[in-house]
Amino acid sequence: MAHQRVALWAAEPDLDDDINDTDVDIPIPMPSSTNEMYDDPKLQLDEGSLQAMQQHIAQQAAFAQIPDVVKRFIVHFHQAVLDNNLQEVTLAYESGWTRLTEKYYAKTEWPEAETIAPLVNDDQIFLILYRELYYRHVYSRLQPNVDDRFHSYENSCELFNYLLNSDGPVPLSLPANWLWDIIDEFIYQFQSFALFRSRPASKTDDELTMLGSEGGAQAWSSYSVLNVLYSLIQKSRANEWLKARAEGKSDEEIEEIVGEYGTKPLYRMLGYFSIIGLLRVHVLLGDFTLALKVMENVGLGQKAPFTAPTAVHVSTAYHAGVCYFMLRRIPDAARVFTGVLTWVMRARQYHTRSYQYDQINKTADRMYALLALCHVLAPTRLDDNVMNIVRERYGDQIGRMGRGEEGLSTFEELFLYACPKFICANSPPYDDPTALASMLIPPTPTSPSSQNPSVVLGDPTQRHLRAASSHFMSLTPVSSLKSLLKLYTSLDAKKLTGFLDTSGAGVDEEEVLSWMMVMKNAGRCVGRVNTGSTAANGEKDNDEGSRPSESLLSGEWMSISDLNFVIDQNMVHIAESTVGRRYAGWFIRNSEHAARVLDSVKASPLPPRIIPTQVQKKSADGPKGEGAPRTTGQKVAWGGVKVA
Amino acid sequence: MAATAAWLSPPSRTELIENLVSGVDRYNPSNVGILEDYLYHQIRSEEYDCLANLAILKLYQFNPDLFNPDVVINILLKALTAEPFPDFNLCISLLDDRPPNSALDEPDPLPTLLPLLMNLYNLLHQCRFSAFWVLYRSDELEVIRENYTVECAGFEDAIREVAARSVRATFTRINSERLGTYVDLSGPELEAWVAKQRWTFDSSTGVVSIPPNPDNQIESIVIQEHIKLPQLSKVISHTVQVK
Repeated sequence: MAHQRVALWAAEPDLDDDINDTDVDIPIPMPSSTNEMYDDPKLQLDEGSLQAMQQHIAQQAAFAQIPDVVKRFIVHFHQAVLDNNLQEVTLAYESGWTRLTEKYYAKTEWPEAETIAPLVNDDQIFLILYRELYYRHVYSRLQPNVDDRFHSYENSCELFNYLLNSDGPVPLSLPANWLWDIIDEFIYQFQSFALFRSRPASKTDDELTMLGSEGGAQAWSSYSVLNVLYSLIQKSRANEWLKARAEGKSDEEIEEIVGEYGTKPLYRMLGYFSIIGLLRVHVLLGDFTLALKVMENVGLGQKAPFTAPTAVHVSTAYHAGVCYFMLRRIPDAARVFTGVLTWVMRARQYHTRSYQYDQINKTADRMYALLALCHVLAPTRLDDNVMNIVRERYGDQIGRMGRGEEGLSTFEELFLYACPKFICANSPPYDDPTALASMLIPPTPTSPSSQNPSVVLGDPTQRHLRAASSHFMSLTPVSSLKSLLKLYTSLDAKKLTGFLDTSGAGVDEEEVLSWMMVMKNAGRCVGRVNTGSTAANGEKDNDEGSRPSESLLSGEWMSISDLNFVIDQNMVHIAESTVGRRYAGWFIRNSEHAARVLDSVKASPLPPRIIPTQVQKKSADGPKGEGAPRTTGQKVAWGGVKVA
Repeated sequence: MAATAAWLSPPSRTELIENLVSGVDRYNPSNVGILEDYLYHQIRSEEYDCLANLAILKLYQFNPDLFNPDVVINILLKALTAEPFPDFNLCISLLDDRPPNSALDEPDPLPTLLPLLMNLYNLLHQCRFSAFWVLYRSDELEVIRENYTVECAGFEDAIREVAARSVRATFTRINSERLGTYVDLSGPELEAWVAKQRWTFDSSTGVVSIPPNPDNQIESIVIQEHIKLPQLSKVISHTVQVK
């Protein structure tokens, strides 16, 4: 390895020649007449060759500016990829890249792919991978401009083209982290572009032309993104593979089922990650049922078929939870969130400072916020650790939301913070300037109410926010009703109306009855029946918690409220269910603790023997004292002082 | 027995539709005709298939030139009848913004009708049934009534069913007048409807009794713990170890 590096370094003066020969990107006719230029006495430099020359020089300068460390790293990285040396690639990808980014490229871009091309002998495949990393860096640390966006799209297309349309599976071997990052970043760039193009108001003319062009309409279209994901899944037959595993088929059968692509880990992982990617894309486009439907074979248990990066689980859980939340299946959402949050808390120390670390933290924060919202909409007992954190962070907000209508703004605030950045599937009509202009003009005030921005440039997030808030608003009377009903076993409806009419706003009985029905409805919702036991972890479990054959969308009506009531004409009868004293956990914990103490005491060496003269005397007296009749009235305690 | 089984795959769905909904073909714009026909079938025969309707809306999302506002309004009306399932909200989520579509022959009725539909939905969701009927019968909604719900077979009965579900869960006995306002029926019609629901109508007192069901039987429950043997295994095994 070192040998090679030295060789490359030593050959540096020769590299300049390489640059001249291997310009791939410059469309201008290559002045192989470079030498002729000098020979020609008339020196007829046309525009094209001049530009080419200038670009040469610029490239050489850029190349010279690259620090040696970086050059060495790139060569090493390339070699590892060529050798399919998974460990080296992982190391280079996870630590090398981030380290060098921090050191040299924290605020600027990495060198362009063309500049480093000579270092890797123009290996196109490696350059595609390099460009993927390059653009990822641009998107995360810097602001991508329109050109960047289009180029990154082209690069992604090339990459997926290479993976999917070569003859047979590609002989690459990349770490799972990287594969997940590829898919994740692809979708992120799509989302970013969709948000970018949905705001035509602030575009420069250049951008407008680019977006309106033919290429502009094609770039990052929803269909192509979905196409990529579906193709990856189909090529690797990921769904069939998951089903076969769930049914417990043998390895040979599985190999047969998945075909030649599916047996390669690269494709298998890409297929699996694409399913998760689909979940995310559907959530972004607002189709929650379809999102859960594609996850049929994956399930939401903690068992991934292989050690998937933490980020995968977190992303899956977050988006699935959002789906359940929008489907108003609050207990399911809360369960999914708590599950993954406990896991993240426990596994936190094992996370590397990878590209995804910040992402995971941010997603975890959003999940806490969503949990707070779930708690408000459907308060149930949840895992204490997680609930403590939620209360710690969002205690005030929960209190405010519980107070009825005034909590609406808090609810909206939290929802906007926590929800994913939904996008619009289509772009504004950049190719039709008149239509675009009419969109930009605010609507004339003939529309019935301000609640109708859905026709003009509405933000998809607003739509979803409205759906969630309407649910919240319908539940506002529930909390005050609950507190009143808790005090009674039976209550007349008129009296109840009287109580609620404290503000004299004229709450009439009919309205109160409506509230009661809403409360009753809120007390039941569809939830996934937990077929497996919620026993302690580490047990032999048959993966019952989430059988893949059961769709994530199925469920039963279940009661989630502890306050139950029924109305008999005008009389309300109330029954409360309480939770009995839970002593098992405390009992077991303390017995185990006592056992441990006993063990440690037994195991520890005995204290040195002290001649217990005094004690012996007293103990000699003791039994006598006990045997003697107590008529003397003297109190004799065992080994104690005799009371005179 | 799953409550969602019928919602996920209604028995009225044919295999062709099933393939469309579950496969990749749902993205093919040329299939929108099949799904729209299925929707009209649902309207005429009082069936309902949520996922297929959502598939239509998704196709509209990706292909704005296919957009047909009548279809959308019909879907939304059908979704109204699905309370307490969150179908209406799901449909709204898929209604993307569209640039003004000049290809339509008639002006797009959706923008004016959408807020009205949302009001109807809010009233239903908040269980304000009498207000719902008032709004529904009002002049504002004449457009909806004339053009859409008249074609939708059993729309009003389906709404009554929504009300019945809530009433069934909350009441054991209810005053018949009150019930009448909830379902917009009175007199002999009301009695006939009550009989169909298999509730008993006591004409002397005017009280309707609702037979017991899991929701309107209440009892105080004390939730006890289940202590399972494996949880105690550590404690027990320790006692065995200690001599």
